Amino acid sequence: MVHKLLKSAATLFAVVALFAFAAPPLAAQQVNPTESSVQEEQLMRALQSGEAVSGRITIPDARAGDLIKPDNKNWAATHGGTVKTVNVVAILGMLVLLVGFYMYRGKIRIESGPSGRTIQRFNAVERFAHWLLAATFIILALTGLNLLIGRAVILPIIGESAFGTLSAWGKIAHNYLAWPFMAALVIVFVAWVLHNIPNKTDIEWIKQGGGLFKKGVHPPAKKFNAGQKVIFWSVIIGGAALSFTGVMLLFPELAGTSAQWQLYQVIHAIVAGIMTAIIIAHIYIGSVGMEGAFDAMGSGQVDENWAKEHHALWVEEKQAREGSAAIKPAGGASPQPAE
Amino acid sequence: MLVKRKQGEAARGRLASMAAGIATKAIDRRSFLRNSGLAVGGLAALGTLNAGMTRQAEAGPADHSRPIELRKNICTHCSVGCTVIGEVQDGVWVGQEPAWDSPINRGTHCAKGASVRELVHGDRRLKYPMKKVGGQWQRISWDQAIDEIGDKMLEIRERSGADSAYLLGSAKFSNEGAYLFRKFAAFWGTNNVDHQARICHSTTVAGVANTWGYGAQTNSYNDIRNSKTVIFMGSNAAEAHPVSMQHILSGKEQQRANVIVFDPRFTRTAAHATDYVRFRSGTDIPVIWGLMWHIFENGWEDTEYLSQRVWGMDQVREEVAKWTPDEVERVTGVPGEQLRRVAEKFATERPSTFIWCMGGTQHTVGTANVRAYCNLLLATGNVGAMGTGANIFRGHCNVQGATDFGLDIGNLPCYYGLAEGAWRHWSRVWDVPYDYFVGRFDAVPAKGGRDARSPEQNMNVPGIPSTRWFDATMIDAEEVDQRDNIKAMIVFGHGGNTVPRMADAREGMNALDLLVVADPHPTTFAALHERADNTYLLPISTQFECAGSRTASNRSVQWGEKIVDPIFESDNDYAVIYRLSRKLGFADEMFKNYEMVEGKFSEEPTPESILREINRGGWSTGYTGQSPERLKAHMANQDKFDLVTLRAPADVEDVGGDYYGLPWPCWGTAEFRHPGTHILYNPNIPVKDGGGAFRPRFGLERDGETLLAEGSWPPESEIQDGYPEFTMAVLKRLGWDEDLTPQERRVIEEIGGFDEERIDAVSWSIDLSGGIQRVAIEHGCVPFGNGKARAVAWNLPDPIPVHREPIYSPRPDLVADYPTREDGRQFRMPNIGHSIQQSVVDRGLHETFPIVLTSGRLVEYEGGGEETRSNKWLAELKQDMFVEINPRDAEARGITDGGWVWVNGPEGNRARVKALVTERVASGAAFMPFHFAGWFQGEDQRGNYPQGTDPIVLGESVNVVTTYGYDPVTGMHEGKVTLCQIESA
Amino acid sequence: MARMKFLCDADRCIECQACVTACKNEHEVPWGINRRRVVTINDGLPGERSVSMACMHCDDAPCAAVCPVDCFYTTADAVVLHSKDTCIGCGYCFYACPFGAPQYPRVGNFGTRGKMDKCTYCSGGPEADMTQAEYVKYGSNRLAEGKLPLCAEMCSTKSLLAGDGDIIADIYRERVVTRGYGSGAWGWRTAYGETISV
Repeated sequence: MVHKLLKSAATLFAVVALFAFAAPPLAAQQVNPTESSVQEEQLMRALQSGEAVSGRITIPDARAGDLIKPDNKNWAATHGGTVKTVNVVAILGMLVLLVGFYMYRGKIRIESGPSGRTIQRFNAVERFAHWLLAATFIILALTGLNLLIGRAVILPIIGESAFGTLSAWGKIAHNYLAWPFMAALVIVFVAWVLHNIPNKTDIEWIKQGGGLFKKGVHPPAKKFNAGQKVIFWSVIIGGAALSFTGVMLLFPELAGTSAQWQLYQVIHAIVAGIMTAIIIAHIYIGSVGMEGAFDAMGSGQVDENWAKEHHALWVEEKQAREGSAAIKPAGGASPQPAE
Repeated sequence: MLVKRKQGEAARGRLASMAAGIATKAIDRRSFLRNSGLAVGGLAALGTLNAGMTRQAEAGPADHSRPIELRKNICTHCSVGCTVIGEVQDGVWVGQEPAWDSPINRGTHCAKGASVRELVHGDRRLKYPMKKVGGQWQRISWDQAIDEIGDKMLEIRERSGADSAYLLGSAKFSNEGAYLFRKFAAFWGTNNVDHQARICHSTTVAGVANTWGYGAQTNSYNDIRNSKTVIFMGSNAAEAHPVSMQHILSGKEQQRANVIVFDPRFTRTAAHATDYVRFRSGTDIPVIWGLMWHIFENGWEDTEYLSQRVWGMDQVREEVAKWTPDEVERVTGVPGEQLRRVAEKFATERPSTFIWCMGGTQHTVGTANVRAYCNLLLATGNVGAMGTGANIFRGHCNVQGATDFGLDIGNLPCYYGLAEGAWRHWSRVWDVPYDYFVGRFDAVPAKGGRDARSPEQNMNVPGIPSTRWFDATMIDAEEVDQRDNIKAMIVFGHGGNTVPRMADAREGMNALDLLVVADPHPTTFAALHERADNTYLLPISTQFECAGSRTASNRSVQWGEKIVDPIFESDNDYAVIYRLSRKLGFADEMFKNYEMVEGKFSEEPTPESILREINRGGWSTGYTGQSPERLKAHMANQDKFDLVTLRAPADVEDVGGDYYGLPWPCWGTAEFRHPGTHILYNPNIPVKDGGGAFRPRFGLERDGETLLAEGSWPPESEIQDGYPEFTMAVLKRLGWDEDLTPQERRVIEEIGGFDEERIDAVSWSIDLSGGIQRVAIEHGCVPFGNGKARAVAWNLPDPIPVHREPIYSPRPDLVADYPTREDGRQFRMPNIGHSIQQSVVDRGLHETFPIVLTSGRLVEYEGGGEETRSNKWLAELKQDMFVEINPRDAEARGITDGGWVWVNGPEGNRARVKALVTERVASGAAFMPFHFAGWFQGEDQRGNYPQGTDPIVLGESVNVVTTYGYDPVTGMHEGKVTLCQIESA
Repeated sequence: MARMKFLCDADRCIECQACVTACKNEHEVPWGINRRRVVTINDGLPGERSVSMACMHCDDAPCAAVCPVDCFYTTADAVVLHSKDTCIGCGYCFYACPFGAPQYPRVGNFGTRGKMDKCTYCSGGPEADMTQAEYVKYGSNRLAEGKLPLCAEMCSTKSLLAGDGDIIADIYRERVVTRGYGSGAWGWRTAYGETISV
């Protein structure tokens, strides 16, 4: 509805703009259509941003009524310029940062060493949602990125035909996997939103830099620390933005005018680039960056010591709630002796 | 103005650049692929995703190594006469190429011409003969169809007489087909034979012929390049005759000509005008008299021309004096100052031409409108020279030819009026005794207070116009001035939605005992009604599927060759008319002069042999010099003709000195090699070069004044003054009869029955030897004489055009001042226009139906539109029937652009269409195109068409809403003015 | 080498749509795909002009710039063509094109687009010239036959000009000088960065 209103407002404006050049009304005595003909230069000069020189068309495709829309070239330039730059800078920048961080800090170990006892951090539903989100995101990111830089990076290596095929499948993958991605996003949001409401502990956590830069520093955190909350909200907000704009891109009629579609495309591509950079950092910290972190999403069971170091308040809460039963010896049914 | 590349340059160019190793931007895809080693294999092996490849080739030029033959035909849509070149491979029409050589279209087309190939794709064509059985369409064989139709016709003839079968022909016929159909009517024994000219330019033909001799465009599309001032009135050439605009816009540019458009609607033509004058529909005469008021007031008339070549202008002057600028503005809405400016341009910036179309002709005062236009041209001396003239743009591809060949209720071929002499002339040509025809016609009993008629008298009584056929099926038999009502309609190539009062037409269709539709498409005639039986569809091929000549609006005759064989089970007109004649029992007599060949399903006459018969009889109109050989030579030598003069240089083989298409009159025999007449009535060049004069066909004197030209004659004329038509007696008096060859003299004597008096009476128009014409022209004289044009046509109901308000006028005050003519009887039928006009005023319909509705053409469609709406390339461009309504009127009614509305007619009929809100129409006016059918008052009738033959686009017909009103001279309907109300649906 | 361009002289264009149906006819373009169209500006007003528009075969074509799969290429005649084998129907070129040239058949999921189709300047595509394969995907190749695009060749009033840019500019310039008016070389500044000065 909103789009319809916008659309009709835009049309109205275009009509008004064009009428400004209309010759005298027909009631006037001297009507010389040849002399009063519209001039291209004049119409072009008067165009406002996003407007087209447009007129009446008899085929049902209303967009065909736009005769010349010079601003489309601006979008093309933005797409090839800003959008590409933001993506490349964000992703390469993040990779450089992480390499730097790794060289500075190395892999963050469990300082007190693995306890051998594990604690349930994420249940199956949470892990399923996470991995669904992760897997679809990665494919979406790669296929999306392919649209932006594939022709510069992949095409010269594999050639036109193969690249065309790859990209065509990529487009299909992108269009279809968007839906499970959105589903996963919803589940993740529902599952974790309560744990991700910022609170006082986050302030302390942030003050201490999350303990990432110094050994032995372990600011307390509940189920999610402030860093994870940033990731969460980035994923939720970014994901929502991507979802909304993505649906608009998929259904141009919903998007409204082509200027609106173009805006959604730019947002989609820029948000995707930034999200990709963030997720790269997330992947780093969840895998090679930190000992014990992967297990949280792998088996769902984390080492007690890891948990105490990174989520002390959560462990306390959990133990208080469930008693020591919460903690299982690693490896299964029979308890193992402590170190 | 296109830049043609040299053959093969493109391909060489690309190869050359590759060889030169030009990389980056200019590299082509194939070399790129070749350079990239991974082009094949790898991922490519997965195959490309073919979904959505967009296109499938249906009939493209599949294989360029096999020969492609080029065949020339003429576009089957409007009257401009654009040459179409078909590329044919293995009998399939695979492509269209521009016909660069044609001086008429020079390679170009409009939307319709550029898509004619689709007609023989024929997705929606009628594929085989069909009949309705219990309301269901059933496929039948040709033999069964002809048998059953013939039996029913004979049975109806037995019961109700020959006149009860209405033979509705077509402007889509070739000349040979039209002539054959007219001849068929003569052999059947009726004058109820008509075609689309009735509803497009019948009033033009009547008005123009009554002014200066012949009913045709005087100049040509090409000649308008010479005009300094061009007036369009009721003509939207940009949509109706697009290719003509090539000449007009070029002329406008090169001459810096004034282009003035008079139209109630701001049309696509008006957009290119230098002056646009909007006036109220149906007030043409006041507008013209208003122009002439300024001309006479300022002395801008051409007095020399008037004194030499025009009779009666002083009487017109008296009528014009009544039309002061104030009165003109009161009636038409046009301010005096605007008319003054336009009048001055037209009268003083000469040569000027006046173009009109159906905006002028489709009125109850159509003939009077035309006469008014003619008077404007005469007063300013703008007929009979380059760049001048009445440039009447006719509608269909062969409406001129079909008119010429008398597909008309009042003529035999070539304008031989219904009279004993004419019948005897054609009897001689056809080699059938005159009495044979007398025996074929009905005797009409005395009824309704009218005298009885013998068959011989009935032969000379014009038939019922096509606008009234349905009235003639339903009104009391006493009221129809023939033996019985119309019982059978035999419709060849004619839509059923192009005449007003479609609800009545539907009742008429329901009332018929027999309905036969012979057409490439099932027309509205096949779908509108609720008939259960006795309804037949015969699939006729288009003109692209047979050979024959057609006459363009400018009278140029062009020969079309068959591009492909008739598709499906369709067959050509010649064969079908032949088979019907055989079934009806007169084929032997009718076809005796023709060369018969084996056709698709039966024997058929060759069009060449039919044309030769036309050449033997068409003296009155100069259809005698256009032999098949000459016409074919013209098509083969199109490039030799000049763009502006249409003439080939004298030294060119076969066509040297000829005007393109031998525009009639092309005097004498083919051997005489008259070049044809590019510009009618032109005394500036010798007759042998196409010169002429006004035709004195209305007597020699009137009111004691001569009707022969005074002081004007074509160069080289040995009679240096006006003279009457040439007869043997005139030749003798001049001593020129000595110039006749013995053979010529012998033929003339035979025609005269070897009786001295009758021999003397043999004229240029019935002399089958052509000797009289030859001798007259060799002495520099026009065979038909050298007369004056008539400003006053005393034989017409209004000898001087008088403004008469439309029947459904929005102005009761003006109806009181300018009422329509009294009720009367014309063409075997009552015309009660006056009573209806009174009733409209009495009922105050102008208040409840305040919008003036007019109608017209779209560029994508033509005529009834069944053919063009079945063409997918055209149909896509206009998918909905619409009404144009002014933004103010729309706003007042809550109507939005593109929304559905009901257009309510004043007599209770209504049409559901889309609104097109536009400034094209003024507030208080609305416009609807007339090409749509298939919906009837909101009901979708798609199911009424035989399966697979329904046009792609259906819509309401404007003629559901249009109303009563008939020109007393020709029976032309009022198609341009009625009242309506529009409401959101 | 010729630099092929289109030029619509709007002072000649009468919206007769011949260019549109000539295109459909020549290439058997299916319903719903409009390689060329005619737009009427100021419809019904005295300033009304109609302009026939298709791909203008731009300098530095924006479609080529945004194409994710780089399926566009420019021929030696400066005609912008594309490969349907490579095209993925993403729709970017439509949004990059100032002239609304790219068209897509509706196929597949979510109403998404099939492979892009557009005016080829009657010069086919990457397949070998004048082959069935080329015809099926792109339509006929008139340029290879030494002919120009049929839309311009069949234009009823010779409003639509096709050919080398310099030559058609000269024709247009001459017309404007002869008749004393001209509403401009529609789209030229946008497509070629220059207009025709008279």
